[in-house]
Amino acid sequence: MRRGSIIQLTAIGLVAGAICTAVALAIPWLPVSAGEEAHRIHFVYWFVTVICICVFSVVVAVLVYSVWKFRAGPDDDSDGPPTHGNTQLEIVWTAIPAVLVTAISIVSAIVLAQNGHAGTNPLIVKVDARQFAWNFTYPNGKSVGYLTLPAGRHVKLDITSEDVIHSFWVPQLSQKQDAVPGQHNSLVITPTRKGTYPVICTELCGLGHALMRSHVDVVSPARYAAWVKQSASASTGAPGLAVFSGAGCAGCHTFKPANATGKVGPDLDNLAQLAKQANRGSLEAFIKESIVTPKAYIAPGFPDAMPPGFGTSIPPDKLQQLVQYLAKGPSQ
Amino acid sequence: MTDAAHAHDLHAAPSPPTGWHRLTAPGWLRVLWVTPIFFGIGLGLPVLLRWAAGWDPIWKGSVLVTVELVTTPIGFLVGIGGFDYWAYYASGRPTREEDHSGHGARSWRDYFRINTDHKVIGVQYLVTTIFFFCVGGLLAMLFRAELAQPGDQFFNPQTYNVLVSNHAALMIFLFVIPAFAGLGNYVIPLMIGASDMAFPRLNALSFWLLPLAGMILIVGMVTPGGGPSAGWTCYAPLCSHQPLGQVFFNMGVQWAGASSIMTALNFLVTIITMRAPGMTFWRLPLLVWANFTTSLLVVIATPFIAGSQFFVMFDRVLHMNFFEPAGGGYVLGYQHIFWFYSHPAVYIMMLPGFGIISEVIAVMSRKPVFGYRLMALSLMAILVLGFSVWAHHMFVAGMAGWLRVPMMVTSMVIAVPTGIKIFSWLATMWNGRLRFSTPMLFALGFLSMFVIGGLSGIYLASVPIDIHASDTYFIVAHIHYVLFGGSVFTIFAGIYYWFPKMTGRMYNEKLGQLHFWLTFIGFNLTFFPMHYIGLQGMPRRVADYAHRFADINLFISIASFGLGASTLVFLYNMAYSWAHGPAAEGNPWRALTLEWQVSSPPPIFNFDEVPQVVGHPYEYGVPGAQHAIFGAPHPTPVQPVGTD
Repeated sequence: MRRGSIIQLTAIGLVAGAICTAVALAIPWLPVSAGEEAHRIHFVYWFVTVICICVFSVVVAVLVYSVWKFRAGPDDDSDGPPTHGNTQLEIVWTAIPAVLVTAISIVSAIVLAQNGHAGTNPLIVKVDARQFAWNFTYPNGKSVGYLTLPAGRHVKLDITSEDVIHSFWVPQLSQKQDAVPGQHNSLVITPTRKGTYPVICTELCGLGHALMRSHVDVVSPARYAAWVKQSASASTGAPGLAVFSGAGCAGCHTFKPANATGKVGPDLDNLAQLAKQANRGSLEAFIKESIVTPKAYIAPGFPDAMPPGFGTSIPPDKLQQLVQYLAKGPSQ
Repeated sequence: MTDAAHAHDLHAAPSPPTGWHRLTAPGWLRVLWVTPIFFGIGLGLPVLLRWAAGWDPIWKGSVLVTVELVTTPIGFLVGIGGFDYWAYYASGRPTREEDHSGHGARSWRDYFRINTDHKVIGVQYLVTTIFFFCVGGLLAMLFRAELAQPGDQFFNPQTYNVLVSNHAALMIFLFVIPAFAGLGNYVIPLMIGASDMAFPRLNALSFWLLPLAGMILIVGMVTPGGGPSAGWTCYAPLCSHQPLGQVFFNMGVQWAGASSIMTALNFLVTIITMRAPGMTFWRLPLLVWANFTTSLLVVIATPFIAGSQFFVMFDRVLHMNFFEPAGGGYVLGYQHIFWFYSHPAVYIMMLPGFGIISEVIAVMSRKPVFGYRLMALSLMAILVLGFSVWAHHMFVAGMAGWLRVPMMVTSMVIAVPTGIKIFSWLATMWNGRLRFSTPMLFALGFLSMFVIGGLSGIYLASVPIDIHASDTYFIVAHIHYVLFGGSVFTIFAGIYYWFPKMTGRMYNEKLGQLHFWLTFIGFNLTFFPMHYIGLQGMPRRVADYAHRFADINLFISIASFGLGASTLVFLYNMAYSWAHGPAAEGNPWRALTLEWQVSSPPPIFNFDEVPQVVGHPYEYGVPGAQHAIFGAPHPTPVQPVGTD
């Protein structure tokens, strides 16, 4: 190769690399990191990004240079030189990628091991997923539909599901774990940055999947200590609302007092009218029947999609609270 | 049979059946009355058995549909004539002397019946798969319309999930995999100097399973109660409790998989036993190498997806508990079995494309493929490694923790043979005489886009990053860079490259280039932003999403409509050029491989005389080099098994 073409090739590669670097830096690709594990995952991400930009720049340089320099003229019927291969070159482009992926594997394996380390005294929170809600149970028995975590402490989530597979993810904490029925999976998170972040279900779990959302409040240890002592109902207003959120009703139903906007099942703001149409006893009886034995009556135009297990999974007193809450209607 | 009589039979049009024979001869008329009979059997058998056993209810939807989806397609295949010869043979009746009446196309009608000519079957495959490509694309347009804004606009979540599930299922099982089978069908026998595939009747049957599988998936979408809506991955236990349409999905995948396995067996036997004299393995064109490795993958892996769907069906219909935790089932078992197929499936959808790109780049650069042997060996390396990486789809699934690092390492290592291929293509182009015809543009588009898809694959192979990115739009972006920027671009490259050979006509080069640029730009505008929204926190398979992703989703939706519209240019170019394009020469690309050494389209049995292969297929620039010579003295022509 001539010196001139090497310089041109390098120049194209550097320009391509510079453009890629600018794209990588100018756009905030990753969410804010709010935990120790996320910090480490972001580090792996940047480590891989640097390597990928180098590889991509080399490929682009050769590609662009070839397209630019080796274009055949319209009447050029000649062939190129019959080069069949070059053993040294082939060894180089086998060995270098092998070294690079080995490096990425080692860094990834170390970070994976660190991110699974929960320390000696983690806060253990049980996570129960069901269609279409999250339920979080603290060591003292407090059970709510959203997470509150102290900043700076290792938290070990004990994740399971009551029906199908769900997946627990907080983008700002980067850690993710499927909730699998019949098995308990654990996930370590160590939030460090105070704030409120979304909890998202990332595994398709049925019709209400898109709205199977919750949130995590990362607060100071002192505030956490105070919060965890409060009883569940005191912190969330109407007792029925806590049941409503915990049972995942918002995944499929609209109900203004709960800020629920699901569209899979009937709009619960119109319950009184629905009960009249159904003509199956009093409003309370109709609501209770629809929750406990949903197949008994299905509102016209809606799918038979109500999970069947609420009769057993919601305790009778909670069920009563939920029925009263819904019966009060939208103006409460 | 003498040569003269043989030649006479080859060119004689079959005499059309008359009178009652029109109803009993294989064809659409027979389909019209045989299919209902088999439909009746599928309906009567379970009802009768349930009645006799005293089971309630006698009419059980999931049972009936399962049995129907076995018997009705068989009825169709019997009607169209898929089993005629074998039925004669099996029943002891004298098999009709092969008259080749089912071989070759004399008019357009011959494309709509059982045909044993691999060239006809290749075209049947391609036209059918492009039809399903359009259907799958339209489904994507529909759900992109829904995603243009957060909240529910056009579809409820059930319909949305059906659209997403079937978009993927059609694109994978009815477009990418069979489109490669179609190209391979047309080109492989020609490339190795054979007169047809090893098992022409099996070949015909393999094709006809495909429209059946496609119709089952499409009909499943409009089943009362709702279509299949558990995603194309169809994870248990969710899919076991879906509406009736899910059964259509389970069974449609079975039919497509059976078609795939039969074609792969056919390719393997053809490539191993029917190469022309002198065509050693180290003289095979890389497309043949690629299809050889792909067929091995299909034969080994595809039974696993059949297994996974059978298990789900048994859970549903027979109330078994393979994946039901309440009955002691093992939920993750489904994913292990499913991905043991579906990861190799990624290579099933990519390796034939690698073969196409090797052909196109060598010819359009006028240079031998750089490092030919390493190119072939890297295919084999991908084949072997491809079976050791399935659990990288399950890094967050809660499988055994120790499995994650080994699966990460093997996934990373696959980058090495893949890198060898990329660098070898670049080296093939180096110092070449590049011609930027449409196939070459798609090859270069593939090269650049597949590198991006491969690099985002490195991110996902790294367990910690995958934990963040899995099940988000980052995955959606990655698979579209690999399967669209990768596979679909290579399919387009292959279709344009062999279009003159298949139709005897030249496509319109200007429209081809327009198609490329519209697709290339539309593709990047649609899928590149998905990396960003995925990493930022948008999960996949949601009809509704957080408001902060609204603008970028609107942008993606608009870009995707542009991408969809670019297909119209392709369809117009193909249809118009097929009918009215200028006549193509036998070898418009001045290529050395065998398919270009015969007329366009090729004679009915491909070669009037058997070629003698004397050299490598890519000796461009070597003075006086030849791949094969015709007219060399040689004893007997290689005939497909069972045609004599």
